[in-house]
Amino acid sequence: MSIEIQHLNKTFNQFAVLKDINLQVPKGELVALLGPSGCGKTTLLRIIAGLEVPDSGLILFHGEDTTSRHVRDRQVGFVFQHYALFRHLTVFENVAFGLRVRPRKLRPSNAEIRAKVHDLLYLVQMRELAERYPNQLSGGQRQRVALIRALAVEPKVLLLDEPFGALDTNVRKELRRWLRHLHDTMHVTSVFVTHDQEEAMEVADRVVVMNEGHIEQIGTPEELYENAANPFVYRFLGSVNLFHGRVQTGHIRLGDLDVKFHEHAEVHQAPIVAYVRPHELEISREADQNTMAATVSNIYMLGSTVRLELVQVSNSEIIEVELTKEQYRLLKLHKGEQVFVKPRKMRLFMENNRAN
Amino acid sequence: MVTLTKRYSVLPGFSLALGLTLLYLSLIVLIPLSTVFLKTATMSWGDFWSTISNARVVASYRLTFGASLLAAIINLVFGLLVAWVLVRYSFWGKRILDALVDLPFALPTAVAGIALTAIYSSHGWVGRYLEPLGFKVAFTPWGIVVALTFIGLPFVVRTVQPILQEAEIEVEEAAVSLGANRWQTFTLVILPNLWPALLTGFALAFARGLGEYGSVVFIAGNMPMVSEITPLLIITKLEQYDYQGATAIAVVMLVVSFTLLFLINSLQWWSSRRHH
Repeated sequence: MSIEIQHLNKTFNQFAVLKDINLQVPKGELVALLGPSGCGKTTLLRIIAGLEVPDSGLILFHGEDTTSRHVRDRQVGFVFQHYALFRHLTVFENVAFGLRVRPRKLRPSNAEIRAKVHDLLYLVQMRELAERYPNQLSGGQRQRVALIRALAVEPKVLLLDEPFGALDTNVRKELRRWLRHLHDTMHVTSVFVTHDQEEAMEVADRVVVMNEGHIEQIGTPEELYENAANPFVYRFLGSVNLFHGRVQTGHIRLGDLDVKFHEHAEVHQAPIVAYVRPHELEISREADQNTMAATVSNIYMLGSTVRLELVQVSNSEIIEVELTKEQYRLLKLHKGEQVFVKPRKMRLFMENNRAN
Repeated sequence: MVTLTKRYSVLPGFSLALGLTLLYLSLIVLIPLSTVFLKTATMSWGDFWSTISNARVVASYRLTFGASLLAAIINLVFGLLVAWVLVRYSFWGKRILDALVDLPFALPTAVAGIALTAIYSSHGWVGRYLEPLGFKVAFTPWGIVVALTFIGLPFVVRTVQPILQEAEIEVEEAAVSLGANRWQTFTLVILPNLWPALLTGFALAFARGLGEYGSVVFIAGNMPMVSEITPLLIITKLEQYDYQGATAIAVVMLVVSFTLLFLINSLQWWSSRRHH
């Protein structure tokens, strides 16, 4: 079922949490709402679920106005960050809950419920844990129970609020992959909230980047990464180096650096910021007109990659560079050594843009 | 179960603490109560049996246990309601209402008894409207139930309140999103988590009702066979210097109360052990 959100507004105590949100989630897609904490992403998710009421705006499920429909009748599956399992019920009864509370006419027989719950438990490889209570499970297991509990009622839409937020890194990675796999087999329209850009990029078909109650950009992970619409999105999707400079009729001067620039050829003497990702910087020992001098101040070995912290000679600002192990070995870098840095690629935003 | 094996703990002193606990309980509870049994033991079996099975005494047991049970059940329902309102909603005067709940603890029971009698007697504020409807409260067993309900109110509220406070709203939201209606959410999700606390509050209110004397004697009318509670009979016997008779009845009260409380506690322990 597709979801459409039109001109949605929500205020809490005169504080605008959501400002004129417009969003479309096509049927069967897995969409991530990504943003820093307090950007309104969870509120948006809760409004889609019907757990929160918007001040104005429309929510359409499959083209049908659902705005004032009760949670119970929306047929959404909701997964909470802290699992929200029924701790007085066994794993089996937790998963069966949604089927057991159905009105008698729609309720499946006990045998059908048992078969269905066992199928779902099998799906998450937890069949032998059916009789356990939630407090006897690990965090990852609890979240999997919460997920299949939501899926047991065959929801039209699956909503997940920071589903892996409370888990440790390894379990989180495993569950992410598992969620992606599950979505590929079940094709239920899903929206999940996260503040972790890596999680959003890895799992989602499309990512909605939110900030301070509005949507900054919507796109596939690749589109966002390669073509960030504004500085906020660029910075939110990974670490970044900033170089302040000026545009001068077809050229940009960034410290020692002089780059040809055709986009804003008519602009004279305007401040500009260049955004360069750490892995888009090259290091060499020879200077040319496209390099800037810097001193190696720190070297961090991070497994497969090496992160360098350099200090620019001209203005002593810090630059972060990421190299592969191989590149690092060939360069034979030492702390305190002077090198020359050259951006392979950069993204330019005029300073008068919201340079946030 | 108390295990005497030593376990590592950041706060040492298990044996000292247990020793003090036993000494304290002996001085305050066990030794005074044991004298009740010792005094009774000076009676012959025949005397003992005829004292405790006297028709007037048996009627008083029925009244005391019945009225306490009824009052505890009323408190179970309305105490939960009060706790719910105090935890879940915010409104003007909530703090005052919250403080009001403890009042039955603080008020001298005789004051409560006199006040309730004044209100529920045939000319009182409430009694004058109830009596034309054929419902007499003061000087009947119903008066006893009213007094015991008043006395026992704080127990259920105060035991349930903290549990409700820490209950996750998300669990209820999960139930509703899975299609549960309000009644199902309440009975299948909220209530099971409250059971242990509700039972504790119920047991405390019930026990308090069994022993209550001060407030009841004013409103009860104290008619033999009708509205005479067991504690009053004990006092009457004491006033007649029948110490053995008084302790004999006290022994019955003690044994039955202890058995009931022990059963309720076991039930509470069993229901909380399952998922905590």
